[in-house]
Amino acid sequence: MRPKILALGLWLLILAACGVIAGRTSYRTNMADFLPHSASLAQQVLAGQVSGGAASHIVLLAISGAPTPVLASLSQTLAARLRQEPAFLDVINGDEPSFAGVQNYVWHNRYLLSPTIVPASFSVSGLHGALANDLALLGSELGLAMGQSLANDPTGEMLRLLDQFGNGTGPTKQDGAWMTSDGRSALLLLHTAAPGFDLDAQQQALASIGDNFAQARSTIPGAGSAYLQMSGPSVFAVRTRDTTKQDVTRLSLLGVLGAAALLAFAYRSPRVVLLGLLPIASGALAGIAAVSLAFGFVHGITLGFGVTLIGESLDYAIYLFTQTDRGEQASDTLRRIWPTLRLGALTSIAGFSAMLFSSFTGFAQLGLFSIVGLIGAAATTRFVLPHFVPNGFFAGGAEPIAWPLYRLIRHRRVARGAMAVALLAAILALFTHRGGMWDDNLLDLSPIPATTQQLDQNLRHALGVPDQRYFIVFQAADAQEALQESEALTPTLNGLVAAHQLGGFTLPSAILPSEKTQRQHQLALPDATTLRTNFTQAAAGLPFNAQAFAPFFADVAAQKAAPLLTPADLPPALALQFDSLLVHHGADWVVMAPLRDVIDPSGVAHALAAAGPPGLAFVDLNQESDRLLRNFQSQAVVLAVAGSLVILLVLSAGLRAPSRVLAVAAPLAAAVTMTSALLTLGGAKLSIFMVAGFLLIVAIGSNYCLFFERSAPGTPGWPRAMASIMLANLCTVAAYGLLSFSRIPVLHDIGLTVATGTFLSLFCGAVFSTPAVKEVR
Amino acid sequence: MIFGPKTRLIVVLCLFTNAAPAAAQPAWGLLPLMQSLAQVRTASARFTERQTAPILRAPLISTGTLTYAAPSYLRKTTLTPVPEIFTLDHGEVTLAGGTSGGPHVFALNQDPRIAGLVEGIRATLAGDLPALDRFYTVSMTGSEAGWQLHLLPKDPSLAHFLRSITISGSQGRIATIDTESRDGGDSLMSIQPGSVNDAP
Repeated sequence: MRPKILALGLWLLILAACGVIAGRTSYRTNMADFLPHSASLAQQVLAGQVSGGAASHIVLLAISGAPTPVLASLSQTLAARLRQEPAFLDVINGDEPSFAGVQNYVWHNRYLLSPTIVPASFSVSGLHGALANDLALLGSELGLAMGQSLANDPTGEMLRLLDQFGNGTGPTKQDGAWMTSDGRSALLLLHTAAPGFDLDAQQQALASIGDNFAQARSTIPGAGSAYLQMSGPSVFAVRTRDTTKQDVTRLSLLGVLGAAALLAFAYRSPRVVLLGLLPIASGALAGIAAVSLAFGFVHGITLGFGVTLIGESLDYAIYLFTQTDRGEQASDTLRRIWPTLRLGALTSIAGFSAMLFSSFTGFAQLGLFSIVGLIGAAATTRFVLPHFVPNGFFAGGAEPIAWPLYRLIRHRRVARGAMAVALLAAILALFTHRGGMWDDNLLDLSPIPATTQQLDQNLRHALGVPDQRYFIVFQAADAQEALQESEALTPTLNGLVAAHQLGGFTLPSAILPSEKTQRQHQLALPDATTLRTNFTQAAAGLPFNAQAFAPFFADVAAQKAAPLLTPADLPPALALQFDSLLVHHGADWVVMAPLRDVIDPSGVAHALAAAGPPGLAFVDLNQESDRLLRNFQSQAVVLAVAGSLVILLVLSAGLRAPSRVLAVAAPLAAAVTMTSALLTLGGAKLSIFMVAGFLLIVAIGSNYCLFFERSAPGTPGWPRAMASIMLANLCTVAAYGLLSFSRIPVLHDIGLTVATGTFLSLFCGAVFSTPAVKEVR
Repeated sequence: MIFGPKTRLIVVLCLFTNAAPAAAQPAWGLLPLMQSLAQVRTASARFTERQTAPILRAPLISTGTLTYAAPSYLRKTTLTPVPEIFTLDHGEVTLAGGTSGGPHVFALNQDPRIAGLVEGIRATLAGDLPALDRFYTVSMTGSEAGWQLHLLPKDPSLAHFLRSITISGSQGRIATIDTESRDGGDSLMSIQPGSVNDAP
């Protein structure tokens, strides 16, 4: 009994230590942490922006299903209500309060902001030119509207700045609210206070939008039929989390119930069914602890995906419990099957070890997690599990389940022919397949259904939210230097716009000029006496009433003496935008300025390289993400190939005879080939998740083949060995097959691939690995 | 220079209207007025505008030409005292000229104030009563030979600075447009029938 106490004590101690480490681990979900360490500055900053930048705060709303005037008043009521909620930084629906914040900021600081504030603007001739222009404006059809601000702003700074701040862009307005051009949907654009990755806050914000909409609808007559659609990164994130939770809970529960029912039927002991969870649970805990110690954090994807990868450790218990013969002690069974089990685990560990060398942090974490997890699970099976198996336990219901397998093996000559034909057909299908095998569309990898993506694109288009593809990226030592360099780039960019190489651009210095520029502006503004004298002389000969321009003199005097603008003075919407244009990244400040409608990317890149600060990068986001994806794909393939080679090496070392290695490896290769042919024929494109699935097929399937290869039909342990494989495969197919019904592409791909592949491994292994009946040993 | 020598040559011709012959005329009223205004497909004329405003010491007199093509093209070319071209084309307003640098472009559907001001004139020219109704409370006084159309702004942001627009004319021809602002300013545009070689 000593070794038993020692083993259990040690196991509990390790589990406790792992539990403590796992409890203290920081779990991250930021995609930036999943990227290679070698990612460029642009990639890192952009990845950070995706999960926390200004774009992640955006929520797009469409209200439809009622006549246009009803939609307009719904939009206004909803906007007014949401503006009371602290969860939203701003609510833009096209009405006046939508723009009040930005317009007030620009109006009250126009002499600090306007790029044309130079001493010459306030000289006699400068003012005379401005006043002559004012006469022209007054004479135009808009004279009355324009005339309203002339007493404050005779030099027309506001008109110029509103052009610069993108005023007058956006959807059409009908009945005072933004509408699609057909008038069928009212459109709103919201910025949440919480960043996109704060999913709990986002979920509350989205729920509050829904509640407020329901209440607004109940107060407006004729609005009963109206409905609300929401889109945006946070909507996606929250919905994905919900769907994942639902799918995982529902499908896993069904899978677990199915597998548990099978196992309960086979084992006839609920206690033993539960015992089967010990290896995987211990392994997962050990995996978390190992990743946490090695990397300092555990990525959410590692956790979710890693448990899937070590799913084969559920089989370890099945092999042990099912192969225990009548009257046999579980520990004796274990001693008997341990060499095969150990080789199977080593094979999988070898397969996953290739991932350790990936430059993607995520892959490396997954590699470590599955290696440690499998070692932990195998060790638990070896040293802990037998002690808990009740004396005299016998899985009485296992053999009836395995009858199809017995029949298949009995007729394996015929089946071998069928398998050869199927394999040939599969190879033919793969070779003649036209079009790319790889899924190159990044959006297909996203867990968001295509219809939701379409809604998002429609709303973005209708709201005029630009697809940000091209960026200028450069670094500076501090924020002021970054703003000054951004100002220095303005003339070049203006030149490119004038030359029609570029549609437009947004620089942080346009929202908040550098302190140096603001000081220059204040110096350029004349003192009160000079301004009055110059103005009187400038107005001579023009029909203006100089007395009426007192507000202008007052505004100039006030802004000449005003404290300089800082980020704290920005209204919320502009502050959010500014923070995404000028990012504090590590010790540096990074400017990330989007360019719109780039006509000639290489021309723009050249012009900017010549003009910009050293290290300025012209970034094509599509290219960057394509490169990242290709890198990801090629690494996945390299890892799969390397993993397969290592598996062959381990099998060779373990089985020693080439014929035995072939008997184990060939059916696995056939199963993977047939699976990929089936997936391709089914219209699916290969995704990186499927490659992970292939690795999993080999990991799980190699165990089957090892057991098939080891026992010849007719030998004493054979029926129970077959029953254990059959039971293990049924459980795997139940669990993963149900995952293939998930709406989340990752889960669907993995589920479908693994369920199909492991079943084919069972089939191929049974007909190919099973040795000939030996009459005499 | 914004104006070529060609456009400076203003040839005064008769205002041509394609008004339907006066057959079976219904009783005169707002709807018949709108109908006869809507008959005009293209028109051009010269104008003189007299403007007063608190910021003006003396009335500002400006002159220029107007060109209209049904239903949504309108150009107001101010020639004196300072050249400026205002163009409305399919809901987009362009202001060019003056000394303020490049042209300014406004979309009518973005700003109810600009939309109201511009639609008051365009919808009257086009005889588009529904469009007028969207921005104004419309009423009419006078007779077919001398009518006045009164427009009172509905939109609060427009009413904030615009008191009223009064358009007068006879038959399908507009004679004056009087725009009164809240701050006591006033603009009276007199339209002289005539055609200019200033077609769109």
